[in-house]
Amino acid sequence: MRSLLATLSHSAMTLVMLGIFVVMVAVASRYPAEARFMPFVIGIPAILLCLLQLVLEARARRSDEAVDQRSELEKAQDTASQIVGHQVAFEPAAAAPAPSPAPAETVRREVVLWGYFLGFIAGILVFGFWAAIPIFLVAFLRFQARTSWRTALLLGIGASVALFLVFERGLKVQIYRGIVTNVVLDQLGR
Amino acid sequence: MIEVMFGSLWAMLTSPQTMGLMLIAVLLGLIVGVTPGIGGRLSIALAIPFVFGMPMIPGAVFLLTMHAVNGTSGQISSIMFGVPGDGDDAATTIDGYPMAKKGEAGRALGASITASGFGGIVGACVFAVMIPILEPVVLAFSPAEFFLLALLGITFIAFIAGGDNIFRGLIVGFYGLMLATIGTDPYTGTPRFAGDYLFLWDGLSLVTAVLALFAVPEMIALGVQGGSISAVSQETARFSYRQLFEGVMEVPRHWWLALRTSIIGAVIGMIPGLGSSAAAWFCYGHAVQTSKTPERFGKGAVEGVIAPETGSNAREGGALLPTLFFGVPASSGMAVLLGAFLILGIQPGPKMLTDQLPLVWTLIWALVVGNLIAITFLLFICRWAAMLTFVNGAMLVPFIVVVVALGAYVAEGQWENLLILVGLSAVGYGLLRAGWPRAPFVIGLVLGKIAEESLHKAMELWGLEFFLRPLSLILIGLIVLTIAFAVYRNLRPSKALAGLRIVQ
Repeated sequence: MRSLLATLSHSAMTLVMLGIFVVMVAVASRYPAEARFMPFVIGIPAILLCLLQLVLEARARRSDEAVDQRSELEKAQDTASQIVGHQVAFEPAAAAPAPSPAPAETVRREVVLWGYFLGFIAGILVFGFWAAIPIFLVAFLRFQARTSWRTALLLGIGASVALFLVFERGLKVQIYRGIVTNVVLDQLGR
Repeated sequence: MIEVMFGSLWAMLTSPQTMGLMLIAVLLGLIVGVTPGIGGRLSIALAIPFVFGMPMIPGAVFLLTMHAVNGTSGQISSIMFGVPGDGDDAATTIDGYPMAKKGEAGRALGASITASGFGGIVGACVFAVMIPILEPVVLAFSPAEFFLLALLGITFIAFIAGGDNIFRGLIVGFYGLMLATIGTDPYTGTPRFAGDYLFLWDGLSLVTAVLALFAVPEMIALGVQGGSISAVSQETARFSYRQLFEGVMEVPRHWWLALRTSIIGAVIGMIPGLGSSAAAWFCYGHAVQTSKTPERFGKGAVEGVIAPETGSNAREGGALLPTLFFGVPASSGMAVLLGAFLILGIQPGPKMLTDQLPLVWTLIWALVVGNLIAITFLLFICRWAAMLTFVNGAMLVPFIVVVVALGAYVAEGQWENLLILVGLSAVGYGLLRAGWPRAPFVIGLVLGKIAEESLHKAMELWGLEFFLRPLSLILIGLIVLTIAFAVYRNLRPSKALAGLRIVQ
């Protein structure tokens, strides 16, 4: 059971892709011959490629291939050493970007960031861009980037005003106002 | 030809809109290049909403200039702090950083900025020289070949971006092709995969798809990683303008090497499949091999800075050639640029040589003028530009997410695109997390319509026999060879190739 779960997680992306192609080919099969021609020309070979990829992934798991875990700098040093014929090595002045967080911490951060992103999109759909943008910017800068309230408010509101001027005034684009905002504006108009 | 060539230059230089946009593009490209977390591909994806609806030429000049000067500022952190931004910059680090440690940061930066600009200009010249040579080849292509070229484009990008596994790249490319079939079928009028959703009848929004596959996943990843390059002593960042000028003069002093490596870079750029950092490493290797004192390399030789910089920037000129004339992007950055060009209404293919020659020449001049402006700008501001390296990634995330959401909406004025953005971003992040390439998706989506149209035309003209046309057979051979080579490389990676592959 554990082995099956490990295989599924290892091949998750391939399975997602396989699922997408199978569903799209199945849906296309109901179209007239000319309309389904291209989806079949693409979808059927793609399904075969996904199956081949699944086989390759299963084999790779069995052979438990070593993964190249050298940093970009170490890889560059190794390549340069091969070219110049002597060992090239140096310590960078800046200790490079921060090391990757632990897996559990990564998942936690991913959930938080996806939460912000989905919340922002939901906010746009309900209240519109010009209400959602400043709230999102200030909240993210204050609680995620950990800036001071002053900086967060200054940057968040400043950027919102700048974007409003660029899109609504400069480019003359009517930006989406959201379901609730539209209803409220309609009510006020009455 | 001469009239078109100089007419395009004159039209570009005398258009305040185009020149103004070019200046903005140079500045943005340089800032993006030095800022951690925003690569060239992402910057083009983010710029798309702002060029939407713009006339073709100013829009294309803006995007190309931004893309071309991106790498010019990328080496600042490599030289000053020993932290390469990407594969191209890694080659510059090997000699650039030891120079900085010896107190010659200004000389190294002067040489690298000038070499980069020089390479960009020579790359554009090589592209220009190749136009009359390639013209008969491009014009010989029929719809049959253009269908196969779309497949070849996906195969090449899958090869470049797929690393050890070409099949992942191919699957992602086919995913892009499949999504390109969404919308009304041009022959029967059947709404494919669109149901009653009218906003899908015209097809999936290319802008939304590109932003979802590239920008959102990159931003989530940047947010997860967090932080910036840790603080460093300001000592390394101190140098005089005299030292910078000494570095500038190193390029004319090594003009023969700079010219050779520029031409090598441009030629490598023309060959899809060699990867973004191959040009820089090939040129670095060439400089070592042709030097009378190869033992100086790796310890602070200025030729080790000049060669990779000229090569990697000259590559952009060469890479434009297959991108514009065949619709086959030579790098993943060019793949996103091609998508952006299509949004502006630029159709790659033989028409670029017949109907759109002034545009082609304008783009060549944009590379030349853009690089000249970039050198001038960067030589003055590089001391301060280096400080951008320390921008906290988490601070950039919300602003970019806002631009992405605005871009997805503005592209077609449809709020439903925000839902598409969320769905495709989830797939994009899954691809990023699983280490799958995303560039083939753009090529599939971009070339999908052209491929379908070409396939239908070829079938009407020749039936299945179109596969047996001589040019078709060559292209099929190239596709098969690329896949076979990728599989062979995967099974038996050679030492020499491993050196190049690890930095791609």
